[in-house]
Amino acid sequence: MAESLEKLHNRILSDAKLKAAGIVEQAEDKSKQILDEAQAQAERDANDIISRASLEAESIRRSILSSRIRANRLRILDEKNKIVQSVLKSVEKSLSNIVSSDQFESTLKRFVAEAVEAVGTVNALVKIGFRNADKKSLQSLGQSLPKGTKLLAEETAIDDLGGVVASDPEGKMIFNNSFRARLERLDNELLTTISSTIFGE
Amino acid sequence: MSGIEAVRKIVETEAQAKRIVEEAESRAQEILASASEEARKVRQASTTEAEQRKVQMLRETREKAEADARNSDVETDSLLENYKKLFENRKDAAAEKAVELILGS
Repeated sequence: MAESLEKLHNRILSDAKLKAAGIVEQAEDKSKQILDEAQAQAERDANDIISRASLEAESIRRSILSSRIRANRLRILDEKNKIVQSVLKSVEKSLSNIVSSDQFESTLKRFVAEAVEAVGTVNALVKIGFRNADKKSLQSLGQSLPKGTKLLAEETAIDDLGGVVASDPEGKMIFNNSFRARLERLDNELLTTISSTIFGE
Repeated sequence: MSGIEAVRKIVETEAQAKRIVEEAESRAQEILASASEEARKVRQASTTEAEQRKVQMLRETREKAEADARNSDVETDSLLENYKKLFENRKDAAAEKAVELILGS
């Protein structure tokens, strides 16, 4: 009886130790799983933080650069515009003083011919007005005009810079060939010419 | 050995077995608690490191962008200076061409 009791004692303890080992082993397995999952989650969290930081960094970069680049583009455009406007002022000055140049007579005849042709009537009225122009010399142009065309020399420069305006007798058809009108009509070509000459563009 | 003694010994053995299992359960709780704490530290360390990298990345990006912006300013200043020289050198030619265009000659 003592022997079988001893066996029972040993078995009870053996079973308990086996169960204890299982409990610890299970906990260790669970522990490893917890750490593996934590490692994986930590990696995902870190990647997420870095990914969002990359977007934020790009946003900061754009914000800093785009505003500065925009401001600098505006400075460039502003300077170019000032230069072009300065040249145009110089052009206006040259045009308003054309009376004193040797190009005046040929230019005047051409402007008048263009205006008369544009109006397209035999009885056109042509007004001429230039700064510092001698009225008599302007009226002498009348001899070269088509027959029926009436010439009127103005005391003041037409549209401030000078030029020619032709119309039919009723004033219904008018062609403005003043320097100011030509400047406006040739605006795009002027800007291109001035820009390409100054900036080589 | 009497029957009473045998029963007493079995009871003692059962109690000993119970203690062994309870100790194992306690040990298991410690292992799991330790693992949870270790996991928390792993995630905390990883997050802290990522946040530090983020701060560094943003600082470097800002510094680089500001340096690029300053370069843009310098390039623009240089360009504007060049425009002034071009204007001085070519303004008469440009005006002459423009006048020719208007005169249509």
